[in-house]
Amino acid sequence: MTDAETRPATSAPWNSRESATSAPRDTVLDVRDLHVYYHTSRGPAKAVNGVSFTLARGEVLGLVGESGSGKSTIALSLLRLIKPPGRIERGQLFLDGRDLMTLSEEAMRRVRLGEIAMVAQGAMNSLNPVMRIRDQIIDAWVDHGISTHRSEIDDRIAELMRRVGLRPEDAHSFPHELSGGMKQRAVIAIAISLRPKVIIADEPTSALDVVVQRQIMETLSRVKEELGAAVILIGHDMGLMAQSVDRLGVMYAGELAELSPMRDIFKDPMHPYSRLLIASLPSLERKGSRRGIPGLPPSLLDPPAGCPFHPRCPSVMDRCRVQRPPLELKREDRLVACHLFEERP
Amino acid sequence: MVAVASRRPSRASIGRVPRAIRAYPMLATGLALILAIVLMSVIGPYFVERDGVNVGYALPDQRPSREYLLGTDTVGRQMLAIIIYGTPLTLKVGLIAGAIGLAIGMVFGLVSGYYGGIWDHVLRGAADAFLTVPGLLVLVVIATTLRGGISVTTQALVVSALAWMYPTRTIRSQVLSMRERGYVRLGRFSGMNGFEIIVKELIPNLLPYLAASFVGAVSAGILASIGLEALGLGPQNEPTLGMTIYWSMYYTSMLRNLWWWWVPPIIIIVIIFTGLFLISAGLDQVANPRLRRQT
Amino acid sequence: MTTLLEARRVSKIFGGGLFEKETTVALDDFSIRIDNDPPVITAVVGESGSGKTTLARVLLGETEPTQGEVRYLGKDLRSLSRDERQSFRRDVQVIFQDPYEVYNPFYRIDHVLTTPLTKFGLAKSRGHARELMTEALQAVGLRPEETLGRYPHQLSGGQRQRVMVARALLVRPRLIIADEPVSMVDASLRATILDSLQSLTREFGVSLIYITHDLITAFQISDNIIVLYRGSVAEAGRAEPVVQQPEHPYSRLLVGSIPQPDPDRVWSAEQPASAVGRGANPAVGCKFAPRCPFAMEMCLENHPPLFQTDDHRVAACYLYRDAPTLPEGPIDQVFVKPAIDLRAPAD
Repeated sequence: MTDAETRPATSAPWNSRESATSAPRDTVLDVRDLHVYYHTSRGPAKAVNGVSFTLARGEVLGLVGESGSGKSTIALSLLRLIKPPGRIERGQLFLDGRDLMTLSEEAMRRVRLGEIAMVAQGAMNSLNPVMRIRDQIIDAWVDHGISTHRSEIDDRIAELMRRVGLRPEDAHSFPHELSGGMKQRAVIAIAISLRPKVIIADEPTSALDVVVQRQIMETLSRVKEELGAAVILIGHDMGLMAQSVDRLGVMYAGELAELSPMRDIFKDPMHPYSRLLIASLPSLERKGSRRGIPGLPPSLLDPPAGCPFHPRCPSVMDRCRVQRPPLELKREDRLVACHLFEERP
Repeated sequence: MVAVASRRPSRASIGRVPRAIRAYPMLATGLALILAIVLMSVIGPYFVERDGVNVGYALPDQRPSREYLLGTDTVGRQMLAIIIYGTPLTLKVGLIAGAIGLAIGMVFGLVSGYYGGIWDHVLRGAADAFLTVPGLLVLVVIATTLRGGISVTTQALVVSALAWMYPTRTIRSQVLSMRERGYVRLGRFSGMNGFEIIVKELIPNLLPYLAASFVGAVSAGILASIGLEALGLGPQNEPTLGMTIYWSMYYTSMLRNLWWWWVPPIIIIVIIFTGLFLISAGLDQVANPRLRRQT
Repeated sequence: MTTLLEARRVSKIFGGGLFEKETTVALDDFSIRIDNDPPVITAVVGESGSGKTTLARVLLGETEPTQGEVRYLGKDLRSLSRDERQSFRRDVQVIFQDPYEVYNPFYRIDHVLTTPLTKFGLAKSRGHARELMTEALQAVGLRPEETLGRYPHQLSGGQRQRVMVARALLVRPRLIIADEPVSMVDASLRATILDSLQSLTREFGVSLIYITHDLITAFQISDNIIVLYRGSVAEAGRAEPVVQQPEHPYSRLLVGSIPQPDPDRVWSAEQPASAVGRGANPAVGCKFAPRCPFAMEMCLENHPPLFQTDDHRVAACYLYRDAPTLPEGPIDQVFVKPAIDLRAPAD
């Protein structure tokens, strides 16, 4: 490994550094140094290149970035659903203290949906078209070895429907009989049917209209409150993030550039990439020249040395070309991977 | 199509062949089998005289020997000659049936699929109607009526009459799914008329289906002709595979243990159909990238 | 000068055949006149079911209106001769939503550029064609040496869509209808592609109809906005006021639901319908009444006409019944022309 790749010793462990500054967090998920590579004939594409973060119970964490930034890969990794040629090279995934990487496939199957559930992009299109919604929920219960008395099933399903804003009779419908928004609610119903601790929502509203989108996000929020679950919201819509998340992580080239409370990132972005991202957002206030971020996203096969953003960074320094900046606490509650800022002592 | 995006221009064409074979083993094997049969028909005549297929050429009922590698039948014909000179006749029937079946299937399928409306009703209706007709029965009736003057070509035409329906339906359903594709819509806005769109945008993407329909029609044609011949309704004086089987049954070769008479034609038929089947399955892989072997 | 493209009282109704009882009115009595002198950018904003896609198809001649007519240079689209139709296809170009499907995988991307050049007879020779293609690609910010000769799967979605923009401009049309041109493109590239679409159409004197569900980008690049709801115009007029001070309750709902990247501007929940509205029959009267917090008795009886609340604004809502109704005719009566004429001087 080159100098650029060695991580400074100060970057681990995470929780202790964070809790040193704010109130101790009730951490439900602790991701440490996750590396996920896709092995191609031309070498490994580093989709996730050393990502660490924690998720507190009941918190909504957003992960935002361009396509190819690695955010969806993280979601799949948490469920250990990365298929060859992709592979989790290294890293630990602590769910309530248990490292998911050490579990057998059988045990992991029970974790999926039972403890971590995912509402995937376009999930409403992957509902089984020939099964009624209630049957798909019952399927999941059976799969996880939950046996319920016939009499109870209807009640539990009706309750699930109400939780997601559907009518009990909608459970008897086939997916094609439901509108886009209703299908997405059905998907959420399936996702929460086993009361998971973590819900990963990957672009849950990308195909939905603006009004329906707001309704779905509101449902998701209410469901989260009722379950006491944590949510990881993945997407590229900064506006949606601003309205929905507590903390926001900005991904770039498989790494976290910045991870801070949502308000802080929007009011005072620190990492140059975050700054450019926020500056380029179109608004309803003013027509203006909307400059995209100059340059192209880096190749994951051959990422730049040092900081992956340095070729496009307006504040680049010599150090940035050689040494990769670690994600560190720079100010209260604010983690940034950039040499511009002094580490908080 | 090619799964991996590449920025470099493609490498030397020579290197592509072995890779193509590894990617589509079924197609390669099928083509190899058919090629072997064709080679046999082309090279064989240089080694074996054509007279061998005539009655009385040699002593009858001889076992395979060094002189007559596959022995002789009850009327003194050399089996090896029959195989070598008879197989191409069967292939010819297949090719004619395949070509006619595909030609009609293409025209009907494209027109009814793309233009729809009354064309669809008429052409598809015709295909559906013909499909319900008991094929072999019709062929038997036609063949018995024409018994006197049936030649290999005539038989091929008769058999083709029932080889166009599946191609029509297959091509039509493909066209229906392609008709609303973005590039077809765009073609209209680029000033192309219906015919140009069919030829330039649809047909290139239909090639695997056209090839598969062709192979299907060839198989159907050969099968039908062998069926007719085995019933004795084929060209009486030609040494086709089917007629050979017919004569071998007529002269009770099985009971008399003249295995060299009925076994060789069956082996050749099996090879031909296996080859055609593998080609068809291989084309399926070409058309449907998900079925390809991961290299 | 005859209007380039005109929709006169166009309605499109689906269903209602012999076996289908239910009919859907996709587009309801819509009229507009479009010209390109000067070139104007008009956004048609709506959600799914609003009729915006149907409007595109009707204007492009892909679908025939159930009632009313669409005219190109004064002639009904259905009665164009073959030459007139070729001319129509050249003058009115399109950019589709899906940058993947729109390329025939059998051909290199050059195919989508050479085909219209050939069919419309715009290039005098192979060399000339290549020149035109190179120019067009450079104009949209692509490098011809990295684009020409490639197969579609070798380019990214953003690049493919830019090639589509290049193609649309290549034939020097008078109008481009862009149906959700960036909704399937990566978010980081949308602004750049829309920007180039805006500046290029102005520069080449091409009018643009930008169909989208995204009010923000509609506001950013358009001169005028039409908000559609269930096939009817809810509100229309100059872009800025429509978006910043929406009048129609549906427009307000739409604007309020947009998640703004500003933690201080919280998106607002949909207000429940008024008591009167809840009892409304959507087939009669204002289509939005069943959801409208301001619905009154009169909203249930007749569909509201377009009230002209300003020189450059109309709203189909009885809240504004004191304003005069728009005189019978096309919606563009309230449109503005762009302030600056960026067209290159003719040479």
